[in-house]
Parts: sequence; C-alpha cells; structure tokens
Amino acid sequence: MDLARLKNSFAKVAMHGDEVPLHFYSDLFLKHPETRDMFPVSMQAQRAHLVAALVTIVSSVDDLDALSTFARDLGRDHRKFGTLAEHYEAVGDSLLATFAYFCGEVWDTALESDWKAAYELIASVMVAAAREDEKHNPAYWTGTVVAQERKAFDISVLTVQPEPRLDYLPGQSVAIESPARPRLWRYYSMANAPRADGSVEFHIRLIDGGAVSMALTTQAANGTELRIGPPVGSLRLDLASGREILMVAGSTGLAPLKAMIEQLAGRPQPPAVQLFFGARAADGLYDLPGLEKFATEHRWLTVVPVVPTERSPGRVSTLTDTVMRSGTWSAHDAYIAGPTEMVQDSAARLAAAGMPAAQIHVEDFGWSEQ
Amino acid sequence: MTSDAWYDEQHRLTPDQLQTVSFPLTRWARHGYEEESVRAFLAQVQAEMVRLINERASLWQEVQRLRRRILGTTNGNDAVLFGKDDAHIHAVRILSSAQRTADRYVADAQAYSGRLTEEARTRRDEIMGQAQQHADMLLNEARTRARAAAVAAMDNEGLSPQTDQERRAVHAELAYLRTFSEVYRQHLKIYTEDVLRTIEDWENKERAAARDIPVPGDVPVRGPDLPGIR
Repeated sequence: MDLARLKNSFAKVAMHGDEVPLHFYSDLFLKHPETRDMFPVSMQAQRAHLVAALVTIVSSVDDLDALSTFARDLGRDHRKFGTLAEHYEAVGDSLLATFAYFCGEVWDTALESDWKAAYELIASVMVAAAREDEKHNPAYWTGTVVAQERKAFDISVLTVQPEPRLDYLPGQSVAIESPARPRLWRYYSMANAPRADGSVEFHIRLIDGGAVSMALTTQAANGTELRIGPPVGSLRLDLASGREILMVAGSTGLAPLKAMIEQLAGRPQPPAVQLFFGARAADGLYDLPGLEKFATEHRWLTVVPVVPTERSPGRVSTLTDTVMRSGTWSAHDAYIAGPTEMVQDSAARLAAAGMPAAQIHVEDFGWSEQ
Repeated sequence: MTSDAWYDEQHRLTPDQLQTVSFPLTRWARHGYEEESVRAFLAQVQAEMVRLINERASLWQEVQRLRRRILGTTNGNDAVLFGKDDAHIHAVRILSSAQRTADRYVADAQAYSGRLTEEARTRRDEIMGQAQQHADMLLNEARTRARAAAVAAMDNEGLSPQTDQERRAVHAELAYLRTFSEVYRQHLKIYTEDVLRTIEDWENKERAAARDIPVPGDVPVRGPDLPGIR
C-alpha cells in the first residue's frame, strides 16, 4: 500500500471542501435510500464530522495504535445510530466513488485498490469493536422521563429512568436524542451517583437556538422516551490519592461534580472538598440551596458560590480569578467542568501555579466532541 | 490544457497556501498594509479558488461525459444521450443542491429561534430589573411613610401604648411625676422665699450699721458673709 500516494490524493480531494462530503452523502442516499433516515434533516454538522473523522484517520495512518483506538471508539459509538455491518459496505462504495469523482484523471486501479484496502481495514476494526460491545451493552438505552423541574429561567433538571440499567462512573456523560429532534445527539453528564432504583438526573441548560436543549427543556414531558448512548468520558475521582479536593463548576458543569460529591458521601472518611460554583448571574446558581443543605449535613464539603463582580471598571473578576485568589491548590486534586473556555482557563492557571498535570482532571466527552 | 494531470502540476498556488501565507513586516509600519484587510482579502481569494476548482472539476466531468458519448456513437453502440453514470452524477448534484437548501432552511430557523430566545432573555432581564426597581421604590416609600407616621404619632398623641396594662402603667407613671414635680415646686418656692428674706435682713442690718459708724473715709468697707445659698 502506497501510504504517501493515499495521503497525497486525500489532500487533493480535501481541496474541494464541503463539496466532498456533500457528494458522498448524496451518492450514498441515492444508492441506498434506506440510510437517509439514519441522519438528521440538516446535514451541515454531519458533513463536518465526516471530514474531521477522515482527516483524523488519514493523518494517523503512520500510527496504527492511535488509528485502531480511534476506529474502535468510532465503531462502538456508531451502534447507537443503528449502524449495521452491511452499512459499512455501502459507505465504502460511496466513499470510493466520491474520491474517484474528485481525483479525476489521477484515479487509477492502483489508487482505487489502495483506498479500498485502507477503508476495509478501518471498517473491519469498527465492526469488530461493535460486535464485541454487543455482548455487553445494548445499542442504546431507552430513558423514560419521570420528573422534570425548572430550577432557573433557563435550567431544568430531568430525571430519567433508563432501561436496561445504565452502569456508569460519576463524572461520565452520555449522548441523548430527543424524539422531538430525531438523529440529533447531544452530550449531558449524569448529575448523581448511581442509585438503587437506577434513575439518573441531567441538568439541561437552554442554549439560544439550541435544537436539542430546547426540546429537552420545553418539550420533554413525563413519559417521553429519550434514547441514551453508552457512557463516555474519562473524568472520574482519583479515590486513591488521599489529597484534598478542589472542584470548579461553571453553570451546568456542576452536574458531573455533583455526582462525584455524592460518590464521596457514600465512602468512609471523605477528604475535604471545596466546591467553587460559578454562574453569570445569581439566578444561574440553580442548585445552591440543595448544595448548601448537603454541605451542612456533610462537614467535609464547603460550597463557595461565585458570580462575576466588577473589581474595577471593565475588569470583571471571573470564577477562575476567585479560585486562584482563594488558596494555594498545588497539593490538591482539581476537578473542573463547565464551558470549554472556563475549563481550559482554570486548568491552565492551576498548572501555572504549580499543580502537577496528573492532579488536574477536566471534563471531556470522548472522541465525539472533536 | 491537456486533460490529464492538471492536479499534478507542481508549484501552483493552492487555497491552503493562501490560508497560511505570511508577509514580512515593513520597516516603517506606516507604509505596510493593515493585517486585517490582507487577511480578509485572502479569505475571499481562497473561497474564489475553491469555487473555481470545483467548477473546473465539474467541467472536466462534463468533458468526460461528452467524450464517452462520442466514443459510444462512433463505436456503433446505441447512441445514448445520457449514460447511466451521467444520470447518477446529475442526480447526485440535484440531491446535493436540495440538501443545501434544506440545510439553509434549518440554519435559518435555528438562527431565528436563537434570536427569539436571546430577545426573551434580554426582555426578561429588563422586566426583572424594572420590577426590582419598582419594588425598591415601593419599599423606600413605605419606609418614609412609616417614619413620618411615627413622628406624627409621637408629636400629637405622645406614645400610643398597645395594651390596657401598658396604658395604666403609663398613667401611674404620669401621676407620680406630676405629684413629684408639685412637691419640688413647693420646696423650691419655700426655699426661694427664705433666701429673699435673708437678703432683706442683710440689707436692713447693713443700713443700720452704716448710720452707727462715722465715716473716716479711708477705712475699707468689708462686706458681710453671703448667706448660704449653696
């Protein structure tokens, strides 16, 4: 297999931008109309995902370990979309037809067989991973909404009963699809430690123009059946460290940290935990009364609510500023969740202040967030 | 241009190069271009190039289609105006353009819903702010009124005790104070009269003494001890 030629031809195909995935999906839907139903109405985000996945694959062809890890995750993750083994062949055909179309005269039998072999390799890893996962997990869980509570102007808490039981570690998250927005999946963290009855809470913030958050906050009623993907993400408590804990939560980033706090409460002698909970305005501190009550019952937990204040004109003090001012943290374990910018800012400044990287744990959503 | 290998030409400008190109800074900043404008222009050039490349690709496909058609005719096969492959490519284009339209509708609807939510949020903040202001105003007004009422009540009616028991206690206190003040007034009156009498006595004695003693002129007059108002 001529890897250099593969990469080179991919670069030339990629030059055509959005036309490439557009052509690919049209080709696929014409040849296999039944696959259209597996995708959302708008394909804009989907096309970007496809290109991103292809770029990741092509750029890591020299690192087979990374490549197969990526392909395995991708294969497992595709189960929730209803992807079956026969779909891989259809996708392979359309992908090759697309490459042939955009390569023009350069396309020859050698290049064709190289691309075919490369695709079959990736597809076989994906299919194998999906088969292996079938033995342990359903393709998706059905989550019936059993309670909903509006906590603030734009924040709701949904309680969902997954079927079968959903096993996860506090800090992890799942992709959720609402029947009101078919084929649109968004990631939410479980906001409680696993319960005896298996029910799970999600904190949903209404995003302006956000299709799924809108459906989940305004259209989900008791009895609504959501689809839930497998738990993902590597954020979890380091229970063996013995260090005290700093938690930084921005808005609904509180959810995974709350699940971890509940997990700690179920253990003997939890370490001291300081939770900084920030929001843009006071009414965004949606779960504060509950947290404060929890803190009075569990003396090892301290809750510090933070809303931005103007320290001097035009210089707003952020959540991270407050955290950095409030202590020396380098000997703590830090757990950070919330808006991406806030998470990165906090992690970077804690690292700059001497906290070792191994002690900084941030929320991530697995491969799909790329 | 030959139909083969136009992709393989080396050293041609690509959209990617435009995206990453950088220019040395001028020695006198004033004579250089504004970086933002250069970047904006490059983005425009890049988009244009992508468009041209795509147009050329589709023209190339068209050339291929026509070439196949001519070859098909000269070979004596059925002269199809529209081969199966051509039909498929056309269908792909039609479906692609339909998908683009659908994408645009969804994006527009989403942007509109986003604007609505944002406006609702702003409006809600305004209403909340106004309500807060109004509440503060009402509270202040109520406080001012309460203070005025309290002052008026103290001025006009004295303290206004709440229960009978309190009222009786206050009345008893008042009666006691009245008696007390009367007693003291009496005491003061007697005392004052006594003092006045003493002064009179003192005056009379002084006058009598003045008549009895001859005036040597140089003897200093010594005043008597003042009576004891202490």
